[in-house]
Amino acid sequence: MNISKIREDFPILNDPKKPIIYFDNACMTLKPKQVVEKMEQYYYEYPACGGRSNHRLAKKVTDECNNTRTSLRKFINAKSDKEIIFTRNTTEGINLLAKSFQFRKDDVIISTDKEHNSNLLPWQMIAREKGLRRERISTKNGFDMTSFEQILKKAKANANRTFVSIVHTSNMDGTTLPIKEIINTAHAYGAVVMLDGAQSVPHNPIDVKKFDIDFLAFSGHKMLGPSGTGILYGKEELLKKLSTYNVGGDTVNDTTYDSAEFADIPERFEAGLQDYGGIIGLGAAVEYLKRYIDDIHEHELKLNKILTEGLKHQVDILGPEDSKLRSGIFSFNAKNKMEHHEVALMLDNYANIMVRSGRHCVHSWFNDNKIDGSVRASTYLYNTEEEAKQFVEKLKEVLKMR
Amino acid sequence: MICVIALIVFGILGIFSASYRIIAKEAFNCVFKKVTFRKCDTGLDTRLKSQITGRLLKFSPRLGKTVYKYFEVFSWIFLILILVTLFFVGRGIVFYAMYGNCNGPNSNQFCIFDPLGTNKPSDVTSGSTCSIPGHIDNKTLSAPPLGELKNGFYQGNTEAKVVIIEFGCYSCHYTKLAEPTVRKIIDRYDGQILYVYKDFPLSTTHINALRASEAAHCALDQGKYWEYREYLFANQDQQLTEELIGYASNLGLNIDEFKQCLNTKKYQSVIEENYQEGLNSGITVTPTFFINDKSVVGAKEYKEFKKIIDKELGIKWWQFWK
Repeated sequence: MNISKIREDFPILNDPKKPIIYFDNACMTLKPKQVVEKMEQYYYEYPACGGRSNHRLAKKVTDECNNTRTSLRKFINAKSDKEIIFTRNTTEGINLLAKSFQFRKDDVIISTDKEHNSNLLPWQMIAREKGLRRERISTKNGFDMTSFEQILKKAKANANRTFVSIVHTSNMDGTTLPIKEIINTAHAYGAVVMLDGAQSVPHNPIDVKKFDIDFLAFSGHKMLGPSGTGILYGKEELLKKLSTYNVGGDTVNDTTYDSAEFADIPERFEAGLQDYGGIIGLGAAVEYLKRYIDDIHEHELKLNKILTEGLKHQVDILGPEDSKLRSGIFSFNAKNKMEHHEVALMLDNYANIMVRSGRHCVHSWFNDNKIDGSVRASTYLYNTEEEAKQFVEKLKEVLKMR
Repeated sequence: MICVIALIVFGILGIFSASYRIIAKEAFNCVFKKVTFRKCDTGLDTRLKSQITGRLLKFSPRLGKTVYKYFEVFSWIFLILILVTLFFVGRGIVFYAMYGNCNGPNSNQFCIFDPLGTNKPSDVTSGSTCSIPGHIDNKTLSAPPLGELKNGFYQGNTEAKVVIIEFGCYSCHYTKLAEPTVRKIIDRYDGQILYVYKDFPLSTTHINALRASEAAHCALDQGKYWEYREYLFANQDQQLTEELIGYASNLGLNIDEFKQCLNTKKYQSVIEENYQEGLNSGITVTPTFFINDKSVVGAKEYKEFKKIIDKELGIKWWQFWK
């Protein structure tokens, strides 16, 4: 992977007057010019709507969107294009599932103690609405498989269905759950598994068929794509069983005043005019990313090692100390108690380093562990070892202020 | 404390530009929470501190570290400086509105609102008065009692609570310079003031001054004082006896009577009485004005008289209709 060549595709990284170190990729990744140019092309040359009109501009839009769907299907090795639903982000994908899945009273929903709010709140709400039970698995010392299996067993014994919705790679500390084992166990008890893949899909190749994943939600903007794009993958047979919750134009083949004939999947879940510019740009992002996806994880582990080795005496790391277990995420608090927002702001103002600070939308975990928040540096394919070393150096200087 | 500073600074900037109003509002929310003993959760204080110290750190690590360490102290110092500055600016604005000078009444110091110094009070030695040679020091001035209105020329309301007495010399250039202001005051405050003119002829400097004063009294006898006064000021270099008679003739006065008045020095003792009264009041220069017990020395601008007269009459600066 030629990092210098990759960086040439990102103009913001090549401005000598405003050099930045961008370490907030867990929130949003930068966009290569190929993505921006593809979107520009749409807006300049064929800004029509797809899947409706018959003129050539509309046909081009439809074809490009279909191409994106195909690219995504190949990217995650899904069986069919029908299994790819366009959403606005991971959050929308999970909400769609929560609202559309045919839950019954006393069904059990299992998640972990480290879920992003987007994979916590929909289940809180639907559980209250439909009288579901919620169970939480601890990840303090790794995923507690024993408790997990006990819950599954108990639910099966009570003839309750189980729905497992868990984060694949945590945005908070970068740890990745053993999904193969989890899914196999879940399926053994007839449970359905949804993975929050927002932090995993952009950084590691994923094969939904190989792991037998039932549902997978992830975001386009975290994988070099435009903001406002996301994907929900679901097995075809499971998607067909979902009810529709967001309905309107393009979700139906026909309507009368009193009835509707809903379209096939995935269209029945894509109501209204879509973000065609975004979808087309997402297609370009997938094409760009697939060239490097096999090398990204290794590259990030190298960068994380530099950060960890350089700073382990100055900071308290969230998650395991072994950087190999934290992907490209380095989440920490200063040992000298310098407040996390202050650290992040100082890094920005002093050294033009962009990191995130706060609770990273995992408020529940921080509240449970009585931690105010943390600083999070998250790397990606275009970050360099030099940047990692500079981060270490500048952070040390900032921490010396206190 | 940085939030208070931010509130003041961005509040003022927000008057001129909308882009600062959001941060001013945030600063206000922060300050409001702090004064009501709640935690300021906007993060504004952290952001500002980080921005300032972060940039200083780029410039000088030592300076950045010092400012970071003593940030609260520096904030307090800066806040005090801002408050003191605002006080003096406000005071300057009020003084300027009241006195035309931001340093207070009768100040000669530079004022940013009056950079050319047009409102500065004149010094006795600055050339805006005629003086008795050898008497250029400022004596303490005290207004003479009004007494009976017999020894001077007067116009206005004899019951007025504001009395303006002018000690002048018809041959003095500065008494002439003050004349338009005197006329303006008489017009503007018609019915509200009493204006009295008293002779203070500077005979040692202006050899015809005494004669001119006598001639004015003689014109008053025939009811043409103000018109004659105009002639005197318009012709300060031509105040010989024949010329004084000539002005009386131009005004259609009875020349025999006028000559009789002049030749017998009918009003010499009156003039001397006025002069002595002036000396007793501490006057050494003309024109000198007393507005009740306040003195104005020299041919000052109308604004200066107005401030004092308005104050004596109890008129506020915004009561433009009075």
